[in-house]
Amino acid sequence: MNLLDILPTSFFRWWENMPVGHYIRGTTWVFAIVETVHIMALAVLLGTRVVVDLRLMGLGMKRQSTAELSEILGPWFWTSLVTMIVTGVCLFASEAVRLSHSEPFAFKMIFLLLAIAVHVTIHRKVIANGVEGAPLDKVVASLSLLCWFAIALAGRAIPFL
Amino acid sequence: MHLINLFQWLNDSSFSVWLREGDWPFPIVETVHILGLSLSVGTIMWIDLRLLGLVTKRYRASEVVGQLEPWAIRGFGVMFISGLFLFLAEPMKCYSALSFRLKAIMLVLSGLNVLYFHAKVNPHLVEWEKAAVLPWRPRMVGLVSLVLWFGIIIAGRWTAYL
Repeated sequence: MNLLDILPTSFFRWWENMPVGHYIRGTTWVFAIVETVHIMALAVLLGTRVVVDLRLMGLGMKRQSTAELSEILGPWFWTSLVTMIVTGVCLFASEAVRLSHSEPFAFKMIFLLLAIAVHVTIHRKVIANGVEGAPLDKVVASLSLLCWFAIALAGRAIPFL
Repeated sequence: MHLINLFQWLNDSSFSVWLREGDWPFPIVETVHILGLSLSVGTIMWIDLRLLGLVTKRYRASEVVGQLEPWAIRGFGVMFISGLFLFLAEPMKCYSALSFRLKAIMLVLSGLNVLYFHAKVNPHLVEWEKAAVLPWRPRMVGLVSLVLWFGIIIAGRWTAYL
């Protein structure tokens, strides 16, 4: 499975011909620097998920409520997500045609959409419910962690497959 | 015997060859490594940022440390053991990689930082946190830890792609 199943080759060519893609491809260090920022943002994003989802499972920062933790870490989550998407788009533009054939990249995009969908729907809902230790909490927390980790692991596999 | 002979010997061992050449051992161990990393750094960073006074200021610092540290230690254990296996898979590559040497140095420094935290900072934290801003020691520990861990992640990322 790859993204060519749903998108035409011209889409990826178009991205690769964007000035940002040209620029990054033509340099040695810019790719490394952009990817470093991408990974640092990923660390912060996963950090927010670990603390909030552990709490949703009744672990970690138990003396605070999930809703409060989620609210405090919310800006960290959204800032790191936006940073990841912006740097990710730049990295994508630099090698869009290669990525169009990549299986892990396709998985990564699917899990990204899934993770965001889970985050703004059921994840938000169980936290807003505010019932401590509701049985659904653990299911939703596991699903959320699974999606975000899958993104990281699929991303890690891109250079190898 | 020089260190390189030891690394060469490890590199030639049948266990190392098995880890390196099988289709599954390396990706599985690396998956575990990244999960351990997320759990430990994902909790350590909030301790560091709290010590720096940049997040969760409404909670006492000692409370944040006390609740998250057990998870940081668990994650670290998983990461360290899986990291040992990743190292055993390619000792000679690690020997020659500058990024791996930097990573090893930063790991030792971050261990010393944790020892310093427990010796000189943690025992006084309940007393110090009564002030609006923590004294320089906890803030320094937080900053050093944060810088080292991001350095470790980036050095690890470089080592993987060599």
